[in-house]
Amino acid sequence: MADENGSNLRQFREGILDNNPVLVQLLGMCPVLAVTNSLENALVMGAAATFVVVMSNLITSLLRHLIKPHVRILIFTLTIATFVTIADMALKAYMFEVSKKLGAFVPLIIVNCMIICRAEVVAIKNGVGRSLADAFGIGIGFTVALAILGVIRELMGSGTLTLPWGAQSWVLFQLSEGFEPHKWIVMVLPPGAFLTLGVVVGITNQIRARRKQGGAA
Amino acid sequence: MKKFVSESWLVLTMGVVFACLLAATQTSLSGRIVENQQRALNQAILEVVPGLERTEELVIGGNRVFKCADAAGELLGWAVEASGAGFVDKITLVAGLSADGERITGVKVIDNLETPGLGNKIEGPWAAQWRDRDATRSFSVTKATPTVDQNEISAITGATYSSVYVANIVNDVITRIRPLLAEYR
Repeated sequence: MADENGSNLRQFREGILDNNPVLVQLLGMCPVLAVTNSLENALVMGAAATFVVVMSNLITSLLRHLIKPHVRILIFTLTIATFVTIADMALKAYMFEVSKKLGAFVPLIIVNCMIICRAEVVAIKNGVGRSLADAFGIGIGFTVALAILGVIRELMGSGTLTLPWGAQSWVLFQLSEGFEPHKWIVMVLPPGAFLTLGVVVGITNQIRARRKQGGAA
Repeated sequence: MKKFVSESWLVLTMGVVFACLLAATQTSLSGRIVENQQRALNQAILEVVPGLERTEELVIGGNRVFKCADAAGELLGWAVEASGAGFVDKITLVAGLSADGERITGVKVIDNLETPGLGNKIEGPWAAQWRDRDATRSFSVTKATPTVDQNEISAITGATYSSVYVANIVNDVITRIRPLLAEYR
């Protein structure tokens, strides 16, 4: 029993650090590049994706003994599509401005491979506890990665930091007027997304390599 | 038949259950969603036709047109909801026309998916140059300094296409909807 719980905690932590979907597994990249142009967008996308992966893992895990192998992809997709639609409607109802900014990327969570990957690799074979730990870990890992990229891109590209707050965005931080001409506009455009992602993944790999070296030594 | 049912009963059941779940969510949230969209529209109308107290919603030429009156019931202007192709996806805006239809009182973009930081500046202060413009001629967009007698609009730096697409939608309102307004006065 204790071992079971230890494994759950490890599964949760792995989703955030060693097995981070964006920075380590490099899965589900298109929303990463598109919605990290501001911190607000990044956080809301992370929250929506976390909701979907948690519900998807929960349902898949509860029904795992009933799902026949040849219909499993169908059932995963059905579940994910349903919860993404619910998330999309909830955003349009309660966070209208942000949902307009995220545009088509909320419905596109359906095809985010990270979510169907967790269902296939973890939820179909494990109990509810492990599946939920995995889902929350992956979801939080995703959100953290998006937030890191969002902070960098928004600060350098727009000079602001915005947070989602109900119907309006809350400007947490705004660099002075003097920054305006020094804005690096490319950071809020697709090339800037690739540049930032490349640098952040590079740094992540460095950290991981050093930790592994440290462990071996 | 038995094989079909034994293989697919779970998928079919889940399909039905999820459909009910979605229907329930839709029913409970659609009120708020429509409210949000209407609120955005109303704010835009207030911006393009200042001083209005009452509106009457009409459908003219396939577009939603709001006949705006002041407290005394005098016709103040028209607010036309129009949409058209943008650089990324559809742009929806509200164009304000004066009571006689001769002048554009303002333009407010209420929905767009243009490039953040560039194209989506059409929702910002750039739109101020649409205030009190000549509605009898079509608009053109220039990268140089605009001249009012040529009915020109200055493009957003780095977002010429988005600026042009907004002008296209306003031109469509001028050529297609404006002539029809007379009979609704």
